[in-house]
Amino acid sequence: MNENKNLYGVTALFDSANEIIHAAKEVEKAGYKNFDVNTPYPVHGMDRAMGLKRSTVGFFTLFFGFSGTAFILLFAYWTMSVNYPMVIGGKPFFALPSFIPVTFETTVLLGGIATVVGILAVFFNLPSNNHPLHDTDYMCSVSNDKYGIVIEAEDPKFNENEVTELLKRLGAKKIHTVMNPGKESFPIFEGRFVVFLILVVLVVCGGTYFTLNKVLYLEPFDWMLEQDKLIPQEKSTIFTDNKGMRTTIEGTVARGYLPYPFKGQTIPTETLANPLLPTKKVLEFGKGKFLTFCSPCHGNYADGDSRLHGQFPNPPTLHSARAREFGDGMIYHIIVNGQNTMPSYETQTTSEERWAIINYIRALQRAKNAKPTDLQEVQKELGVNVK
Amino acid sequence: MEVDYSTEAAVVEGNLRLAEIDRIISRPIEERPGKKYLLALSISSSFLLIGAICVGLTFFYGVGMWGNNQPVGWAFGIVNFVFWIGIGHAGTLISAILFLLRQKWRTGVARFAEAMTIFAVMTAGLFPIIHTGRPWLAGYLTPYPNQHGLWVNLNSPLVWDVFAVSTYFTISLLFWYIGLVPDFASLRDKTISKVKKTIYSVFSLGWRHSNRHWQHYEKAYMILAGLSTPLVLSVHSIVSFDFATSILPGWHTTIFPPYFVAGAIFSGFAMVVTVLVFVRKVFDMENIITLNHLERMNKIILATGMMVGYAYGMEFFIAWYSGVQYEQFVFINRAFGPYAWAYWTMVSCNVIFPQLFWFRKIRRSVPAMFIIVILVNVGMWFERFVIIVSSLHRDFLPSSWGMFVPTLVDLGILLGSFGLFFTLVLLFAKTLPVVSISEIKAVAPGSQPSHAGNHNE
Amino acid sequence: MLNKESGYVKKELPGNIAKIGTVFFAVGLILGTAGYFIEPVRASFSYLVAFMFLVSVGIGSLFLVALEYLAGADWSTPFRRVSEFLSSSIPLLIIFALPLIFNMNSLFHWTHTEAVAEDAVLQGKAPYLNSSFFIIRVVVIFGLWSLFYYLLSKNSRGQDSTGDQRLTKRNIVLSGIFIPLFAITATVTSVDWLMSLEPHWFSTIFGVYFFSGSVWASLAALTLIVVLLKEKGYLSQRINNDHYYSLGTLMFAFTCFWGYIAFSQYMLIWYADLPEESFWFLQRWTGGWEYFSIVLILAHFIIPFGALLSYPAKTNPRRLKFISVWILCTHYLDLYWLTMPNLNVSGFVFSWLDFVFPIGILGLIILIFNINAKKYNLIPVGDPKLQRGLDFTLH
Repeated sequence: MNENKNLYGVTALFDSANEIIHAAKEVEKAGYKNFDVNTPYPVHGMDRAMGLKRSTVGFFTLFFGFSGTAFILLFAYWTMSVNYPMVIGGKPFFALPSFIPVTFETTVLLGGIATVVGILAVFFNLPSNNHPLHDTDYMCSVSNDKYGIVIEAEDPKFNENEVTELLKRLGAKKIHTVMNPGKESFPIFEGRFVVFLILVVLVVCGGTYFTLNKVLYLEPFDWMLEQDKLIPQEKSTIFTDNKGMRTTIEGTVARGYLPYPFKGQTIPTETLANPLLPTKKVLEFGKGKFLTFCSPCHGNYADGDSRLHGQFPNPPTLHSARAREFGDGMIYHIIVNGQNTMPSYETQTTSEERWAIINYIRALQRAKNAKPTDLQEVQKELGVNVK
Repeated sequence: MEVDYSTEAAVVEGNLRLAEIDRIISRPIEERPGKKYLLALSISSSFLLIGAICVGLTFFYGVGMWGNNQPVGWAFGIVNFVFWIGIGHAGTLISAILFLLRQKWRTGVARFAEAMTIFAVMTAGLFPIIHTGRPWLAGYLTPYPNQHGLWVNLNSPLVWDVFAVSTYFTISLLFWYIGLVPDFASLRDKTISKVKKTIYSVFSLGWRHSNRHWQHYEKAYMILAGLSTPLVLSVHSIVSFDFATSILPGWHTTIFPPYFVAGAIFSGFAMVVTVLVFVRKVFDMENIITLNHLERMNKIILATGMMVGYAYGMEFFIAWYSGVQYEQFVFINRAFGPYAWAYWTMVSCNVIFPQLFWFRKIRRSVPAMFIIVILVNVGMWFERFVIIVSSLHRDFLPSSWGMFVPTLVDLGILLGSFGLFFTLVLLFAKTLPVVSISEIKAVAPGSQPSHAGNHNE
Repeated sequence: MLNKESGYVKKELPGNIAKIGTVFFAVGLILGTAGYFIEPVRASFSYLVAFMFLVSVGIGSLFLVALEYLAGADWSTPFRRVSEFLSSSIPLLIIFALPLIFNMNSLFHWTHTEAVAEDAVLQGKAPYLNSSFFIIRVVVIFGLWSLFYYLLSKNSRGQDSTGDQRLTKRNIVLSGIFIPLFAITATVTSVDWLMSLEPHWFSTIFGVYFFSGSVWASLAALTLIVVLLKEKGYLSQRINNDHYYSLGTLMFAFTCFWGYIAFSQYMLIWYADLPEESFWFLQRWTGGWEYFSIVLILAHFIIPFGALLSYPAKTNPRRLKFISVWILCTHYLDLYWLTMPNLNVSGFVFSWLDFVFPIGILGLIILIFNINAKKYNLIPVGDPKLQRGLDFTLH
């Protein structure tokens, strides 16, 4: 047993790889457990000479690598199919082939990091700059071109004289004893290091605050607060006529905007016939357009009761007898030309939209002026009894 | 010269002893930089400055400073990205694949090539970020739970790129660092300067050259090599997916992944040879980075050059064979259209000139190989230019045809990328051991026990 | 020049190997011929799968031989002969191709002039896809392979008696010429015999796909035979775990490589979803073929990947034998999957013929191997790299 509490172990240096292999075999054979070999590079066959078991690093890699695989597949499933599903390129939400690349990368990333962190922290117990062997002649020699063996005092069989004898017999060139450092020192608690840490914290915090709150609001990092763009109905410096909104080029007609042949005429034509049938689709479409363009004045149900009521000459209800007797062509004519205070809606609506709006107005008129017989018809149609 | 096949060629020449290896490799770090070094550093850093100015212009005025315009929406930015990512591949090939193939000669060049990988990936990584125009928002590329409630689109090859390049950078850095740890320990025990000793101690993590550590270390090194090998294939494959998953003729073709990988290794080796030719001379390492090393790398350049040539041929043949008129047009346009000059530059630099490496004399002549590898670098840059620009500039509708002309800012950023890369390489060469000390010692003559590893005993 | 340390003594293989080979071959030949008269079209397709298996193992093995020379590898030298013997079927390929060439009309849609006349795409391909040019290509390519097989194996065998190092040098030069030629010829072969079965389909990676499967199967055949011969004492006893480990690693690497190539081909076509390409995979996803596709992914990639991942799997002879047989069967399945959906487009149809031809081809490979093993040394005793190969250790 070890008498000297401060003794770390006995070191011996050898000159060649053959000698160190031999020495390691003999020390192992002599029954020592707590010994180590230090060589400037891995010597072939040393693992067997020292009687080491196969390294188990591989399991570390395997476990964390496959954890990465599982994690990223679940992540892909959750983000792409559950949390924010979107059809991309006509592919299914969980498009496995296109998740393979990221799956592979994550597997390798986690496996690789786990391997490195694992050997350094778990297998080597590094960093350990306080190890007794550091700053000894022995360490300088094995760092350069010598091969060393150290038998630690912790070994149950350790006896300083016996160990020295054994190493001498094996042909060691230099044999030394290495002591444990008298007192453990903690450089982390040294004043200078603490000041350094505080400085780092201050600089990082200040820099982050300054970047996120000041720098990112300077041009060009200003989150696109300032953008050159056209704003509707505003003056613009982009075109020479200072108009932001553009009119069509002379002599051209935009799709859906065929000129209205009776523009400006007072006599409406009854020859204009509604080309659209009042199908559900058309009525839904017309409803949308009605609510956008007509309802601000005429009200949501064409009662003439909108928010504007009382502020202007009151917009009329469309359920009056006069309005109900208008032909479709007449309403079309009014939408295009305007009437009294009502401006022309020629540029805002296409001809298809106007006809759809008219169909919707007709539906409203019918609904507002329903007769008891209508109810019976509805009942017949639905096959139910509405009271 | 007669070769004796019954013995293995020595990796380290000149019968160096271990202490001498230590001295030769660590000398550049210990000596003060010479005039030539400072001259080289000032040239490369002025290139870097030009690049930085041009990038600043891009940030301030927007990506409109570049020549990109419809229909060529991807040009120099992506060309440079693919080019530099490709350069990086040689390092991983040398450090991982040749390690798995137990090619001992890799030890002489592995460290340097790995460093070049890291610097090349850093350079490459800049380009997609500056291409977005608002690089300070690049964090959106990472999938983190954010206030917008959005996730990255894992179906997009561009997101695959983010995963691939960042994984590649991380793993390469770890691989490189793990290799450096024993060397830091050696330097720590050698140096007399207190500041240096502190730095080396921190980075060596207190490594003790213990065999109980070496055992796991070697296993971990092997595992990392095993992970890096498919990783390196995946990275350039994923870069190729950026193009090949589209339906654009000239981009969408199934051979792209292996073709890009071969091209990447090809260009990477060319760059490694370009740099090593100088390094071995300047640092007196001709016995460690020997002519045999360079010859072997030239052989790999020849082999990968032919793989690239095979892919060119296959693309052309299948374009014709497919019977798809768009495919046929794109390839005829490549060879005889307005960018034919770029195409033929690419073919001659990548396929024709490397054929000179069939001759042993040329493989072993430093000036000749230097000229050829420079041509290969040029050719591989033009390969990406041809793939990207010539496929885009003729859109499906003739009304959408256009030409791409780079602006001064484009050229400045390209120059700046070389400046960044070489500045980092030069700084590396003076601060860290450019050759792995422990690995070279392990393959030096007489360093291994004579009858070790006999499994039958 | 016999190498003393190798501990190799030339022994003849047991007589029943020749018997097994002959029986298998005869069964295949007789039943195959019978099948041809019952179902000529089906028999042609079934035979094509078996023939492509013969081709891919033959040229894959020759590629491994050339690669060893070119890369300067030494660990595989002690059993390079096995690959050489496996590639000795190459000179016979032209004979075994004859039944297929006489039945081109049943195999290849593009040989039907009336179909081509109505099809603009096929008309465009006619300068390449026409019977006479096809036959010229087949003859030239098989001829080239036979030439390189002859030269490489002659030099290798010549060394047995002389130990002349110049022969190694000569083979290195030959390999340097052969490998680029191999890349082109193997691609043309795969396009001609497999891709043109569906003449409208095209994929630039197809040659690489064929190459990856071929080398994979060749490695498996090599491993299987090496393990069997070593166990029975026909090879040097100094072939050890490290040799096995290297073979296992290479098989593992090619498993991954095939997975990579197959995934690239599938994913790119799936992602772009162009109808002129994706229909080929759709054919393999309907009418029962989808089970073949799924089995292929599992058996060709996932299972071998898992089975070869660990160190013991790569060194344990029993597991190596099992996985080698597995790989050979899966490679056959791969070729079947490439070929058969072109015949049974609407869905998988079972036929007893599909089992007849592989038996015959297996018998043929055994017979050829046995003849070679009788005539020549099983290890290249005069090779200068042999000693290095026998001394090979990982550490």
